[in-house]
Amino acid sequence: MRSANRVATLLLATALLVGGAVAAVQALLLTLHRRTPLDTTGWFDTVSGTRWRDPTVRAVSAGALLLGLAILVAQLRRWTPVRLRTDERDGWYLHRRCVERRLADAANTVPGIRHARVRVRRRGGQWRPRVRATGDPAARAEIEFAVHQELRHLAAPRPGQIDVRLLPRRRPA
Amino acid sequence: MTNAGHRLLWTIIALLLVAGGAAALAASLGELPGVDPAAMLLSADLMDRWRMAAPWSTLAAAVAGALVALAGQRLLARELRGPGGMLRGTLSRSGRRPGRTRVATDVLADALVRDLTGDPGVRRARVVLTGTPPHPDLWIRVDLTADAPTAGVREHVRAAVRRFAATTDCQPAHLDVTARIEPGHP
Repeated sequence: MRSANRVATLLLATALLVGGAVAAVQALLLTLHRRTPLDTTGWFDTVSGTRWRDPTVRAVSAGALLLGLAILVAQLRRWTPVRLRTDERDGWYLHRRCVERRLADAANTVPGIRHARVRVRRRGGQWRPRVRATGDPAARAEIEFAVHQELRHLAAPRPGQIDVRLLPRRRPA
Repeated sequence: MTNAGHRLLWTIIALLLVAGGAAALAASLGELPGVDPAAMLLSADLMDRWRMAAPWSTLAAAVAGALVALAGQRLLARELRGPGGMLRGTLSRSGRRPGRTRVATDVLADALVRDLTGDPGVRRARVVLTGTPPHPDLWIRVDLTADAPTAGVREHVRAAVRRFAATTDCQPAHLDVTARIEPGHP
């Protein structure tokens, strides 16, 4: 969401800059009765020939309303923090993506386990790693051990509970 | 611009879109008092008044366009500059004897970066100082190598910050360290 916001702001800023400059030049040339680069008579005719109850007006205004609601929900929803706090005292944080990737790599080292994905959530002061992978369900203890080892290597706080969900590998038909 | 700044900007834009869209929809459905849904979007009366007001109307449009372009330019500049509030300039301190010592904060940040990257486990470091000089806020980002022992690097960073505080004689009011670690097994 953060990257989307940045890109959207860049696009908005560029649109404002270009649109504002073009509008200013156009209006200035109109004031001076010079020939303008954009021919706006067609647009004026369209807008002045459209009634409020036309379906186009309804569609555009409903679209704006829905877009506004969608953006509002996306902005007000709680975002997952980028960083995970490891310690209350010395202000040390670990980048969440890096931790998740490291834990996934650790889970993938367990024999027979593939496509491991890890999400780390923080509840209270404890981390809650959630592992999803394909492989033998009997390897659960080994995955937990590997994740514990990796967290110890990262000097992370002891996790509360490691949630491991294993999908048995699909047999070829 | 910060993440919170973006969030606020887009919340305001979303509210404007919702308000505008709802008002236009209400006008279109005939629910908005004072607007006849059979009327044109740009009525002939409005167009006449616009023409009568020329050249002031077009001049006002030109000024409005210039202001919008200026707002876009400011937004673009803020966006490309990155998060603001960085402490620039010099750290000034008066000694016991007459005279003052001035040190450029860039030099201090660079010195701390060099100290931090002295550890083989730290590949890159970035230091930003904000706040007011006697007790600045210290923001550090370190990129660690895949095999770096995190606990050891953490102790190294803590020691580097202690050395920084002792050398510059300014104890950080707030310390914030973000560590990124390279993936371990390719």
